[in-house]
Amino acid sequence: MPYLYGDPLKCTGCRICELYCSLCHERVLNPKKARLRIVRAEPAIDKPIACRQCADPPCAKVCPTDAITRNSKADLVIVNVGKCIGCGACVEACPFGAIWLHPEKKIALKCDLCRVCVSRCPVDALSVVTSEEFAGKKRFDLVERLKPILMERIPVPRG
Amino acid sequence: MAFKYSGYAGQVLEVDLTRGKAIAQALDPALARDYLGGAGYCSRLLYDEIGPKTRPLGPENVLIIATGPITGTLFPQASRHVVAAKSPLTDIWGEAHAAGHWGAELKFAGFDAIIVRGRSPRPVYLWIDDGKAKIKDAKRLWGHDVYETDAMIKEEIGDKSIKLLYIGQAGENLVRFAAVMNDLDRAAARTGMGAVMGSKRLKAVAVRGTRDIPIAEPKNYMKLMDEFHAKMLADPFTQGRADYGTPSLVELMNEIGRLPTRNYETGVFEHAEEIGGKTIRRKYLVKARADFSCLQRCGRYTCVPEGPYKYIGGSPEYETLSCVGSKCGIGDVEAILYAHHLCNRYGMDTCSFGGTVAWAMECYERGIITPKDTGGLDLKFGNHGAMVQLVHMVAFRKGFGNLLAEGSYHAAQKIGRGTEKYVMAIKKQEIAGQDGRAQKSMGLGNATAARGADHLYGFPVLDEVGFEKAIRERFGAKYLPEIGEKLNPKYKGLMVKECEDFAVVVESVGVCKYGTMIPPTFFYPDILRALNATTGMGLKERDLRKIGERIVNLNRMFNVREGIRRKDDTLPERLLKEPSPEGPPKGHVVELDEMLDEYYKLRGWDLKTGIPTRAKLRALGLEFTLKDLPRRGAA
Repeated sequence: MPYLYGDPLKCTGCRICELYCSLCHERVLNPKKARLRIVRAEPAIDKPIACRQCADPPCAKVCPTDAITRNSKADLVIVNVGKCIGCGACVEACPFGAIWLHPEKKIALKCDLCRVCVSRCPVDALSVVTSEEFAGKKRFDLVERLKPILMERIPVPRG
Repeated sequence: MAFKYSGYAGQVLEVDLTRGKAIAQALDPALARDYLGGAGYCSRLLYDEIGPKTRPLGPENVLIIATGPITGTLFPQASRHVVAAKSPLTDIWGEAHAAGHWGAELKFAGFDAIIVRGRSPRPVYLWIDDGKAKIKDAKRLWGHDVYETDAMIKEEIGDKSIKLLYIGQAGENLVRFAAVMNDLDRAAARTGMGAVMGSKRLKAVAVRGTRDIPIAEPKNYMKLMDEFHAKMLADPFTQGRADYGTPSLVELMNEIGRLPTRNYETGVFEHAEEIGGKTIRRKYLVKARADFSCLQRCGRYTCVPEGPYKYIGGSPEYETLSCVGSKCGIGDVEAILYAHHLCNRYGMDTCSFGGTVAWAMECYERGIITPKDTGGLDLKFGNHGAMVQLVHMVAFRKGFGNLLAEGSYHAAQKIGRGTEKYVMAIKKQEIAGQDGRAQKSMGLGNATAARGADHLYGFPVLDEVGFEKAIRERFGAKYLPEIGEKLNPKYKGLMVKECEDFAVVVESVGVCKYGTMIPPTFFYPDILRALNATTGMGLKERDLRKIGERIVNLNRMFNVREGIRRKDDTLPERLLKEPSPEGPPKGHVVELDEMLDEYYKLRGWDLKTGIPTRAKLRALGLEFTLKDLPRRGAA
């Protein structure tokens, strides 16, 4: 299950992703119409937030018109714009604040994994990953870090 | 109704603080066409509204905060806004620029500019929410610094994502070089715009918006921006900027003997490495933090983790390191970092603050200013403790700080005793981190800049480190190699004139001088493509060049009306007569007169007076200024 991950250690908060997103989806420049947001908190934190395409999405569960579904073929959580009534129940349900309403059309906006922003991030802070990949990378990073200690305990012939 | 051109919000907020009214008005499309926006827009509007009779800190001064048509778009570094008014520091044309996220948000909130008139009877702040504006009470904010004000307004509005522009205590206390700050550490620093805002009792402007910036040609726009972004990122300069920001200029300027040290005694500082980009990156850098739509990310956060100078916050630029550091003979980097942080919190221009302290230090070393004047403060060069103490004293106008809060020019006028001789200011404003003896174009550019000593008005930097390709593109191959030689005065009139014309265009469309002036990635053709794709104005390159010249001449006429002449386009005596003592510029002074002659000739200004000719003003569509030309013989 891939999702858009934003690395807060790389993100500089330029919000170029927000502009490209609104340009690609809405043909205007407007961060409030973007499908991802950068959260700036002091001191020195910039964190991209986007839909995590949950396996069991709470937004879909609370949607009264079944406008939000998990499409297993596309491996995505999808909003059916025609069914959305703009009630905002999904906004309340999402634990990440990663879904919100379009400021004019009042329909739910969320990341559709189009990836337009990914290659355009000037510092490569955005990537599309799966939880399995994420965990795998973390495991290997950890073991790399522990390597010197572990190597001491392994009975390698030391000449 | 939609504005004639895309890219603009199409509305201006007119605020009358005396009457407590804020009204949205349509932006005049003719102004957009002839002056673009930003600096150009301000220059046209203020020319009519204020003049010689305007007291800079009186309610009759008009403060404009304006964005450009490209502000808030995807063009690299499209994050700029300008603050303009008559300056309380220089008593002439005043303007200061800043990046951040505030300018873009103002456009998303539905306004290109805010015009502030009058004076509020009590402290207030403006709250602009999606096209609607309210004047709100700021009594409880008054007296708080920028960081505190930021948190308090966000708490009051109940939204941490709003963008803020404000003054600190320096602006409230009418320090003549107070800055207008935004997004915590961004400063529209020069010419004392913060004092003008303080005189109006306007503490802050909070903005939030959900509106579009419409694009004239959305189809080609994304491809065009992809092309510009690729070009910007491919520039070898970009990575260096991202890694070090402008502090790396400390080492570079020291190498070329252009790092002002001990109030311009020399251009080489023995502690340059200790206060330079490498040290700051290695020991204090937290992370690079970009302003809106910025690929260069020279903005950064630094932190001094412990000790008396402990802080975390925005990081100083080169100008601060040289003005508060080397210029004061201070090699203690933590003291400089901390003084910068305090200046940001109090909302004060570090260039003028450092320049004024350096002036006081030289006078102290020479025994003209004594401990009796300073209240016992030992102002020897290098005394960082005293310098840091002065930040507080100036911002709150305490003791000796009250005198320094006037700026070095006014302070020297008050104190007399020959201290005037050591004022390193032009048209009353302190020179930033430049020594024209080591780079002649910078010497000339500082002398001609409309807002007093200012390296950025023309920002002639292509001769600094030899951008030969850009020089060929921008000025023509026939001027090489002389034009690219920083110690050679030849063709520097041409360089400064051309740079000024382009720089005001850059500042009128709302983009940064990084990426346009240095590195010289984008020039007229690129700005033109971006501007036309964004706005649909259908301009030609010659239109843009003419607009640039028009704005420079209008700024000049504003100053001519205030009595500025050729005699004022000068440099402190030290740079004209005392040869640089060491490093590459050893033995050099600034050959100002010959460069000025060339500059005036190219500008079409009178060689003797420096006043634009009637023919030039007419050719630029500035007929309305003709009435203000001094009568023959009266100049």
